[in-house]
Amino acid sequence: MRRFSWFNATSIALGFAFLYIPILLLVIYSFNESKLVTVWGGWSTKWYSSLLQNEGLLSAAWVTLRVAVVSSTLATILGTLAAIVLVRIGRFPGRTLFSGLIFAPLVMPEVITGLSLLLLFVAMNVDRGFWTVVIAHATFSMCFAAVVVQARLYDFDKSVEEAAMDLGAPPVKTFLQVTLPIIAPSVISAWLLSFTLSLDDLVIASFATGPGATTLPMKIYSQVRLGVTPEINAVSTIMIGLVTIGVIFASYTTKRASARQEREMKAVDAGAK
Amino acid sequence: MSETQALGASPTATPGAGPTRATVRTPAPQSGFAPWKDPSKSPIVRFENIVKRFGDFVAVKECTLDIYEREFFALLGPSGCGKTTLLRMLAGFEKPTSGRILVAGEDITELAPYERPVNMMFQSYALFPHMTVEQNIGFGLKQEGMPKDAIAARVEEAMAMLELSRFGKRKPHQLSGGQQQRVALARAIAKKPRIVLLDEPLGALDKRLRQQAQFELMRIQETTGTTFIIVTHDQEEAMTVSSRIAVMDHGQFMQVATPGDIYEAPNSRYVANFIGDVNLFEGKVVRVADGFVEIDWGPGLARFKSVAPEGCVADQQIWLALRPEKVRIAFEKPSEASNAVPGKVVDVGYLGSISHYHVELANGQRVRALRANSARTVARTINWEDSVWLEWPPETGIVLTR
Repeated sequence: MRRFSWFNATSIALGFAFLYIPILLLVIYSFNESKLVTVWGGWSTKWYSSLLQNEGLLSAAWVTLRVAVVSSTLATILGTLAAIVLVRIGRFPGRTLFSGLIFAPLVMPEVITGLSLLLLFVAMNVDRGFWTVVIAHATFSMCFAAVVVQARLYDFDKSVEEAAMDLGAPPVKTFLQVTLPIIAPSVISAWLLSFTLSLDDLVIASFATGPGATTLPMKIYSQVRLGVTPEINAVSTIMIGLVTIGVIFASYTTKRASARQEREMKAVDAGAK
Repeated sequence: MSETQALGASPTATPGAGPTRATVRTPAPQSGFAPWKDPSKSPIVRFENIVKRFGDFVAVKECTLDIYEREFFALLGPSGCGKTTLLRMLAGFEKPTSGRILVAGEDITELAPYERPVNMMFQSYALFPHMTVEQNIGFGLKQEGMPKDAIAARVEEAMAMLELSRFGKRKPHQLSGGQQQRVALARAIAKKPRIVLLDEPLGALDKRLRQQAQFELMRIQETTGTTFIIVTHDQEEAMTVSSRIAVMDHGQFMQVATPGDIYEAPNSRYVANFIGDVNLFEGKVVRVADGFVEIDWGPGLARFKSVAPEGCVADQQIWLALRPEKVRIAFEKPSEASNAVPGKVVDVGYLGSISHYHVELANGQRVRALRANSARTVARTINWEDSVWLEWPPETGIVLTR
């Protein structure tokens, strides 16, 4: 390992400061005693306890959680299926177009995704609410799930599936007994990623939502327009914590799975030598 | 190997050429086993005019082949010759472009892999990484819906046969390559299929382990009485294990015969070259008389005499194939010899049990000769730059027309 030169140390400090000082400030102010957000009045956790009495925020948090669980499950199932088609079926007419269509929402501006979904829901005359938000979230996080699962499938030995079929397992059984258990870590991390994406989405949710289905980010945003309260800081801190845990856990499962795979490969190589 | 003696006076039985050189030149492992010669036997596998195209590439061209029950059949050829494609079509992973595949008289061409009475051992072993050795071996039985205790008994039996009993609770990544290979084999035989397919089963093992595994394969094949079909690019492996070999090139069978016939009576230069070492002399037939052929292989060179193949005519272009171990090398010109050529030694390789000689003839062609070092001390050893005579009887060269 090379030691940091002063130049490297400065650039990394600047980079991290740029990224994290605002967040750090928010976290610190959530422990502020004072009612005024910008004036420091000493340490306190009273905003966290008053948060528990704020029913509006709590119900919004509950909606968010439910939306996140349902939509990320949906997105993971759809994303996994799409990834399997893209990796397994190989070349078919329109494959490039198909994969392009799946990954386009990755770079699509959220406002446009949200607006188009809103137009669809209006055109279909659907009552907007919980389920429309779920569908909207599943739509945009599905492509992230597909990317994660696809990466795992690319280095998946296809002959393992062939072996299962050869031993008498029809395709569905092969998928459930062999393929799915092997790609499970990437499916889990796809779910966690979709979950976090859904948890902190504001733009798409505001387009797709209706009465009675206000998510936490929407609630926060609308309250902030009336002025930032320390309660908002507290709830944001909790969200940051949740998202951080989710992301760390997702990358941990992926890393552990790939490390294990590498170990297995090494064991095979060493055995063959 | 008692079968070797059955060859009798065959000059191939080089004395003392045991452990260092592994080229086994025995005929079918079970002597007398030759169902392909018996017209009353019907084949267990029949490939009927099989063609397989991948886009413009023709992987298999019009192949017809019969394989019989209890055979250990080898598909041998260089990579890309279509041997694996043929095997995968039998397993059901590829559909032939045209033609039919029959197993025990029944057309299985349209059946899915999981409906076929064959099991395959994969080159990469394809073990299920998330299952223990026991679960891997029992997987196929579980699909059949066999009761749990019956599965356990069958798995136990397969593990005992392959000396895996100690490893039942391990996962594949906790096993050595040799052990993984045995698990893969155990899994392929656990369902007691009529036909076991082996796709380069020993390719990942080192040489020593591979030879051991070859004999294990033969033992399993014999004790289970199953038909084995092996795909390999290793000619030694094919010679060692199989009852018959199909030598393939560019999607076609070049020759289908017993290892002994493939080695001693190749039907083409390709086969002669692919199996073992061979010297080839290009020449023209001068005349055919009394079952022998006189070969002119260059102006001013003594003509060769060899046993004439069927349908050989004068002026035909032919090749004389000569195995190095059948060429005798001496200092003096042999007095009574149908074929004798002088030359100069350019290379000597001493391997202990045998020595290799590279001899350059007057026309610049190099001939390889092989001699068993049967005596411990020799009055005069053949060395670099020595002038020598090469000699062989007319029965040992093979005249090839293609």
